Amino acid sequence: MTTGKRIAAAAAGWVALVSGAHLALNVDWSVALNDRQPLDKRKFYVAYIPVT
Amino acid sequence: MTDYIARHSLGENSFIPRKFQGFPEIKEALIGNRMQAGFMVAPMAMALRAQGVPIKIVYLGHRSGSAVVVQKDGPIRGVRDLAGRTVAIPSRFSDEYLIVRRALKREGVPAEAVRFLEMAPPDVVGALAAGAIDAFSMGEPFPSQSEMMGFGRILFPAQRYWPDYMSCVLVVREDAIDRRPAAVQTLVDGIARSGLWLDEGKPHREHAADFVGRYYFNQPPELLRWALTKDLQRVIYTRLSPRKADFDLVRDLMLEAGTLDRPVQFEEYVDVRFAEGTVGLTPWDFEAGGRTR
Repeated sequence: MTTGKRIAAAAAGWVALVSGAHLALNVDWSVALNDRQPLDKRKFYVAYIPVT
Repeated sequence: MTDYIARHSLGENSFIPRKFQGFPEIKEALIGNRMQAGFMVAPMAMALRAQGVPIKIVYLGHRSGSAVVVQKDGPIRGVRDLAGRTVAIPSRFSDEYLIVRRALKREGVPAEAVRFLEMAPPDVVGALAAGAIDAFSMGEPFPSQSEMMGFGRILFPAQRYWPDYMSCVLVVREDAIDRRPAAVQTLVDGIARSGLWLDEGKPHREHAADFVGRYYFNQPPELLRWALTKDLQRVIYTRLSPRKADFDLVRDLMLEAGTLDRPVQFEEYVDVRFAEGTVGLTPWDFEAGGRTR
C-alpha cells in the first residue's frame, strides 16, 4: 500500500471512529426512535426540573 | 424515580423524562406540544389553564418539601424581619411565592414590604451565599444544600404556615388525555407506587437519593440523602390525589396576590379520574439490582 493510500485509510478510519463515538454519546436514541413512531404509539415526554 | 424503577427492573419505560432548568421553559414546551406531560408548580398550571392552555392537573408530585431559607448568622431571625428584604422565588406563579405572602400576612407584615425576585431554582443557593439576596423560598434540595454548605438556615418550612402544603403537580395535555388515557394512567400509577415506596422508610429514600442524584438530577447523592432522610417529613410522597380544598386555597391566595384574574373552578383544571385509579395500589417491590413486581 502506498503512503497516500495508508493516509487515506487512516483518515477514513478516524472519521468512522469519531462518527461512531458521536452517534453513541451525543444522540439520544430513545428520542430519535420515539419520534419516528406513529402518534398513538409514541411514549410521552415528561418534563421535570431537579427540585422536589 | 418511576422511570428508573421501570427501566431497571421491569425492563421497560412508558415515557421519556426530560430535564429542564426552570418552570417557564416547561410551560413553553407543554404549550408547543414538545412535552405531553410535566411537573410544574400548581399556581402556574392553574394560571395556564385559566388562560386557555389545554392542560389538566392529574396528580401531585409531593407534599411539603419547600422552605424559606436565610443566612445562618444573618439578621433575619423571624418572619417579621423579612420586611425590607429581598426574597428569591422560582416564579410569582408558584406556591413558594404564596407561602411567603401567607406567612407575612399571619405575622402582620404587608407583602409589599418585601422585594420578591424571580430566580431559577439552581441559582438561589449561590445568590444567598454571595449576599445578593437575603432569603429564598424554594423546594428541596436547595434548602438542604444551603444547610449542608454551612451558610443557610431554614427560617420556616412551608408546612408551618400551610399544613398539607403542595407545590409541584403533574400536568398532562388534554389531547394526550383524550387520545391515550391508559398511558396517562400508567404514568400516574407509577408515580403513586414510587411515592408509596419512598415513604416506606429511610433505606428506600437513601437508595432513591443515589440513583436520582446520579442519573436524573445530576446532583450529589449525599445532598439528596440529606434532603430526603434528615427528616422524613421534610418531603412527603403519599396522599398525592388532588383535593378541591387544597386547590381552592391556592386559587384564593393567587387572587389575593393578583396572579389569577378570575376564580377558576376545580373541575376546570383538574382531572381526578387518574388519581382515583390509583386507589389500592401497592408500593413498588423494588430492591437494588433486583426484580420488581
